[in-house]
Amino acid sequence: MSNKDIIILVVDDERPIRRFLRASLQGYGYRVIEASNGEEAIQSATRDHPDVIILDLGLPDMDGAEVTRQLREWSQVPILILSVRDREEDKIAALDAGADDYLTKPFGVGELMARIRVTMRHAKTESEPPIFEDSDLKVDLSLRQVWARGKVIDLTPTEYDLLRLLVNNAGKVLTHRQILREIWGIVYENESHLLRVNISNLRRKIETDPTRPAHILTEPGVGYRLKFSD
Amino acid sequence: MSVAEYIRQPVVIRRYFQSILLVAAITLLGFPINNLIHPANLVMLYLAIVVFAAIFLGRGPSILASFLSVICFDFFFVKPTLSLSVDDTEYLITFTGFLTVGLIISTLTASVRSQVSAAQQREAQTSALYALSRDLTVALGIEQVAEEVVRHIHRTLNSEVALFVTEGATLKLQSATAGFSANETELAIAQKAIQSGPPSGKSSEIHTDSKFDYLPLNTTRGVVGILAVRFVDPDYSQIQARRQQMEGFANLAVLAIERARLSEQANQAQVLGATEKLQTALLNSISHDLRTPLVSIKGVLDCMVEYEQGGENAMHLDQSSRIDMIENAREEAARLNRLVENLLDMTRLESGSLKITFDECDIQDVIGSALAHLSDRLKENQVQVEIASEISLIPLDFVLMEQVMVNILDNAVKYSSPGKPIHIRVQQERDTTTVSIADRGIGIPPGDLERVFNKFYRVLRKDGTKGVGLGLSICKGIVEAHDGKIWAENRDGGGAIINLALSTHPREHGFEKQVLL
Repeated sequence: MSNKDIIILVVDDERPIRRFLRASLQGYGYRVIEASNGEEAIQSATRDHPDVIILDLGLPDMDGAEVTRQLREWSQVPILILSVRDREEDKIAALDAGADDYLTKPFGVGELMARIRVTMRHAKTESEPPIFEDSDLKVDLSLRQVWARGKVIDLTPTEYDLLRLLVNNAGKVLTHRQILREIWGIVYENESHLLRVNISNLRRKIETDPTRPAHILTEPGVGYRLKFSD
Repeated sequence: MSVAEYIRQPVVIRRYFQSILLVAAITLLGFPINNLIHPANLVMLYLAIVVFAAIFLGRGPSILASFLSVICFDFFFVKPTLSLSVDDTEYLITFTGFLTVGLIISTLTASVRSQVSAAQQREAQTSALYALSRDLTVALGIEQVAEEVVRHIHRTLNSEVALFVTEGATLKLQSATAGFSANETELAIAQKAIQSGPPSGKSSEIHTDSKFDYLPLNTTRGVVGILAVRFVDPDYSQIQARRQQMEGFANLAVLAIERARLSEQANQAQVLGATEKLQTALLNSISHDLRTPLVSIKGVLDCMVEYEQGGENAMHLDQSSRIDMIENAREEAARLNRLVENLLDMTRLESGSLKITFDECDIQDVIGSALAHLSDRLKENQVQVEIASEISLIPLDFVLMEQVMVNILDNAVKYSSPGKPIHIRVQQERDTTTVSIADRGIGIPPGDLERVFNKFYRVLRKDGTKGVGLGLSICKGIVEAHDGKIWAENRDGGGAIINLALSTHPREHGFEKQVLL
């Protein structure tokens, strides 16, 4: 599927932002449709069947998380959230409601394109290829084997589960709550220190410089993302 | 007060009685010496008694003494004795003379006496007023003024006192003695007294239920307060003097209250002036900082439009200079974004709408995020991070603490020349984690190590690099909201170090705190 067949729905109440997004997305060959509020967005999603929705959180008529919730009742279309800094709670609410990823304004076009590609890839393929490779990190999910800088890395079962979850969602943000629920279970979803300690240990094992991680990236106040350059 | 009332007073009755006793004593004394001296000289003794009575007992007793003296002299010593009839009519002249002299002496002496006592009273009043005015000159603010006024009136006039001051259209009880119960009625009467003007309350006909006299404190600009007074022992002979004294006190109170008010207003005006100056400085500084990046961004975009539109006189730009220009615009946009973020943070800090959510965080992760955030800006300065091996998780607000690190690192870059390294060090000592960020920049003037955390403070740089001077003050606000400490020092061999000390003492998960600066 070439970009020409891909329809992207841009939902934002600010005209200049819609204009900028339309120009840059069309520049990459995507087809763009627009909506300026939540109501229109839901109508357009029903009518035009977009392949990706770029959704601003600060809409005049309803909360972005609410739009996400309503869309998720019947659609699995990838949703990319646009938000400003300082609204971490809203971002997390939208991600927990089923949004796929988010971007903080102001963002670069390169970043936007990468996010669109990642969300679409995850939407398309249900099962990930068994081998993940990104620069000096290699994970073979079928062998349960991890290599960093060419050497086999010894991980605890929890660390491996954590890494596998990140690999399966490579390039996509995972909220603290999503990870805690997935690895430790729903009872532990507020025990964020468990996650911090394990991420810290995992980084010490796979990162060259744990202070400037190249693989497991922190999304401040939101969660983690495994870097994946496709 | 009627004469009857006056006479019924015990002290007055005692004085008349004393004057009778004096006359009786002289009469008794007269019997043994009657045969030795001429009766006319005996009259002199009686006259002496009259003078004595006039001086010490007052006018009334002295007049009584005059009449009694004449009667006693006639009855006991003028022939025929033990009778009021007189043989020698010459004695009638003596009696008349005695009475006249006695009455004149009584009147004169009494008036001297009352003048002396009035003078003494005036002296007491003056010294009481002086004492009050002396204490008022050192009283600061309306509270102290009110306290002094109430204390002095209470002591000098032996009375229960309350002082109300006006606050806009309403009255407020500022200070009172223990005997004054501030209930609704008293307040209502005081409120009425403002409108009525003359003393209201007890002496007024409307408020017969009040035990207090209400004295409005008038100035040319209206009533500033009300003085309520009730005398503990109503001494009617003193009523006029007391009223005068009250007026004296009231005048002083008016002056002092007005002075306190004016000085308060002057203070407010000064604060307001300072705030305005600060706002002007902020506006100047911000508009400069906002405009500078916009100039380059707009300039670059204009160039690009020009270049793309081509035409005959199109500008010639090779690819590398185009990329260079665009890169410049991008960096300026990032700078603009940082500035706006700081302004927003400052507004939130100041309006008290900043909420901190504590969460167990890995400080290494916080530093890493800040470094990633500033990766473009840190391209030319090598950053060394040194973290002790066993660092506990610290309860903090990840996003806000990242902003702290970003601001400190941004300063480190701003005040260092390219290529100079930045050193980050994290140490743990018992339950405190210390993060030190050291640069090799121009350092901080030694006297300003504390002031760098003040709003709008900037270290001047020769090349004129400017900032709003908000970065470190935001850091301070955030760190202190975490109950941590932040301080600056100069580094051996040049440069500055900013230190943060944070407590690792655990907090309840998701503990939230409203920040008020």
